[in-house]
Amino acid sequence: MLAQPGLATKLVNFEVDPDGGYRRVNGYTPFGDTRPNSSNKILGLAVYADGLIVCSGTGIFFSPDGEDAWLQLNKASVAGTGDNYTAFTGRSAAARTAQAQTSFAIFEGNTDYGQIVITDGVNKPFLFSMTGTGGLTTRTFFAEEVTVSGTVAPTVCAIHDQHLVVAGAGAAKNTVYYSTLLDPSSFSGTGAGSILLPDQVVGIKSFRDDLIIFCRNSIHKLININDTNSIAIVPVTQNVGCLSSHSIQEIGGDLVFLSPDGIRSVAGTSRIGDVELGSVSRQIQSIISAIARSIDSFTITSAVLRSKSQYRLFYTTAGGSTAASKGIIGTLTANGFEWSETLGIQASGFTSGFAATGVEKLYHGDIQGYIYNHNTGNSFSTGGTALDINALYLTPHYDFGDVGTRKTLQYVKISVTPEGEATPTLKIRYDYEDTTIPQPPDYILADIPIPSLFGSVVFGAAVFGASSDPMLRQAVQGSGTVCNFQIKSSDQTAPYAINGLYINYVPSGRR
Amino acid sequence: MSTTYLELTNELLRELNEVTLTVGTFQNAVGVQQHVKDALNRSYFDIINQEPQWPFLAVDESGETDPMYGNAYVQTVAGTRWYELKPSSDSITTDFGSIDWDNFYITTVGVDGETAPYTARNLRFLTTEEWKDFRRVSENLDDADTQQYGQPNAVIRSPDSRKFGLSPIPNKAYRVWFYAWALPTKLVNHGDSVVFPEMYTSVLLAKARYYIWQFKDNPQAAAFALDDFKKGVRSMRSNLIEAAPTIISDDRMRFV
Repeated sequence: MLAQPGLATKLVNFEVDPDGGYRRVNGYTPFGDTRPNSSNKILGLAVYADGLIVCSGTGIFFSPDGEDAWLQLNKASVAGTGDNYTAFTGRSAAARTAQAQTSFAIFEGNTDYGQIVITDGVNKPFLFSMTGTGGLTTRTFFAEEVTVSGTVAPTVCAIHDQHLVVAGAGAAKNTVYYSTLLDPSSFSGTGAGSILLPDQVVGIKSFRDDLIIFCRNSIHKLININDTNSIAIVPVTQNVGCLSSHSIQEIGGDLVFLSPDGIRSVAGTSRIGDVELGSVSRQIQSIISAIARSIDSFTITSAVLRSKSQYRLFYTTAGGSTAASKGIIGTLTANGFEWSETLGIQASGFTSGFAATGVEKLYHGDIQGYIYNHNTGNSFSTGGTALDINALYLTPHYDFGDVGTRKTLQYVKISVTPEGEATPTLKIRYDYEDTTIPQPPDYILADIPIPSLFGSVVFGAAVFGASSDPMLRQAVQGSGTVCNFQIKSSDQTAPYAINGLYINYVPSGRR
Repeated sequence: MSTTYLELTNELLRELNEVTLTVGTFQNAVGVQQHVKDALNRSYFDIINQEPQWPFLAVDESGETDPMYGNAYVQTVAGTRWYELKPSSDSITTDFGSIDWDNFYITTVGVDGETAPYTARNLRFLTTEEWKDFRRVSENLDDADTQQYGQPNAVIRSPDSRKFGLSPIPNKAYRVWFYAWALPTKLVNHGDSVVFPEMYTSVLLAKARYYIWQFKDNPQAAAFALDDFKKGVRSMRSNLIEAAPTIISDDRMRFV
């Protein structure tokens, strides 16, 4: 099996490690100690400036660290020249009535942090910006609602070629609006306009020179937005649509999105133009099909973990528990995407982005209003209480080249990369998990030596000379014609990676 | 070492690196585990078949009723020639496994109403051929006529081996003592034990191993196991059956 990487039939809370093997995912830790808006569901998150913008309930909030009170951003009558902290906090709130799941776009411009646009499909787009690099009380705040066209309330937004582009309004489902050049607050000046499509817009994304427009049953691209003579909509495909704008992400020089038949890439779809061939998620087709069947009952969120070349998508039900919440992880490898599942991450809001310091930040929020630092720590959490991470790596059923021969297993060597103390469990099941035959007990891999890396371990707390990728030998029992292996853990210990399994067996007849 | 059926099974399963059974899973085992159970029973019977008169199969302690020689008896009835060796059995499958036909003994000791002086004698084993050629006709005619009968002096075996016969036909009640060995009981439940001393379970395991290695297509290991078994049975026989000392005395004198 060491010679055949990528063999797994189930990976729950494991991720494909870019360094090789399958790695148990990190957990998540609370972002500060204060929820932005009590127990209101998190509707969207965006990394902005040196903190995080959160949409929850009827409000939009900002905090650099989640401690103490969050700064409410949806204020009315903010001065055009900006408010100082006292004036801004003293303004009355411009309630985002019935605010729905939000989309964000940042127009960088010539300001400290750029201008962020928030759309939700219910309210007019909200434009916010902040200047100043000192403490929050020393900064200047700008906020306003943007009128696109009357009361049009677009669901999605994007910055494309120096324009703010919005679309997907309930009253203008097939209209794409674009703002004046370099002014995201104006949809009536020179260079602004709108364009009609034959299909309802679901999402938009700027991709290289084009604006890709994802519709319900088709995909188009808007070209030459700055040339009124040649601006045009060019169809990419008429066969495939997008199920959720919140599934669209750019990764690996391509756009991926959730379509009814899988996670697809735009380049692949454009090139092939067929329903099936552009899919990059054939390995998890059953999961994707289940999501597609109940797409209206899920809140879809996604983000890219650039440092891991990972695309993560979470699907959350309205009243579901954290422990039962699911998602998928697609890791871009040399062999394309490899997939795994998550269980226990409830993300009604999810974002990744670069903070002002240039460091990639990952956050997610749940339906109870909590915000978490994503992909850090050794546990999950619900309502402020830590949860175990239930991880499972399940291999296919191996016949070792001859399904007719009984094999008596003697030992398994497991190459593990522990990142701290870890005690995963090895479980072997013979003959397609036949319940009528005695199956061996679970083997707890309790003696994984923690690597001793100079400068990182404390004397007396680690094994001198231990390898960073120790090979663990576990004696096992039982025989069968086929067998599979499960490595699982349910704890709050450090992550570990399974690099490979070596199985020693003896052929034991054909009866 | 182990003696119960479960312990023996698990000892073999551990040796084979197979999943062991528990009290809960023992009864409904399948696959390799059930084969090991079957192999143990087969081996158990193989040992019994090697020597039906193993001491541990004796139906009772010998000489329990002192000074009678034997561990079972049947009381005769005047005028009845044939008696079931094991009256409580109704089938050959539950009869005694073996009888020492050369050790029958008849006496009036212990018979109700009998007082000293008693009668007693050894019964000579008479083949059916001898009996039918020289005794059957006269005894049958006596039975059909005057019914004098007599004190038996010979024992005969019925062709189905379920009964013994007396010649002459007994003229009154006697007790006929003899030696009998029981049939072994198949191991069924997890707590069932083998009937022989624990030190000989290695012989049982060797033969079971022989069957299991055959099952696992390993004839070489099976041959080794069979060799172990043969040596083990030889030891058992030497220890348990052929232990009587043999002394040769030489009283020749040589004068020089």
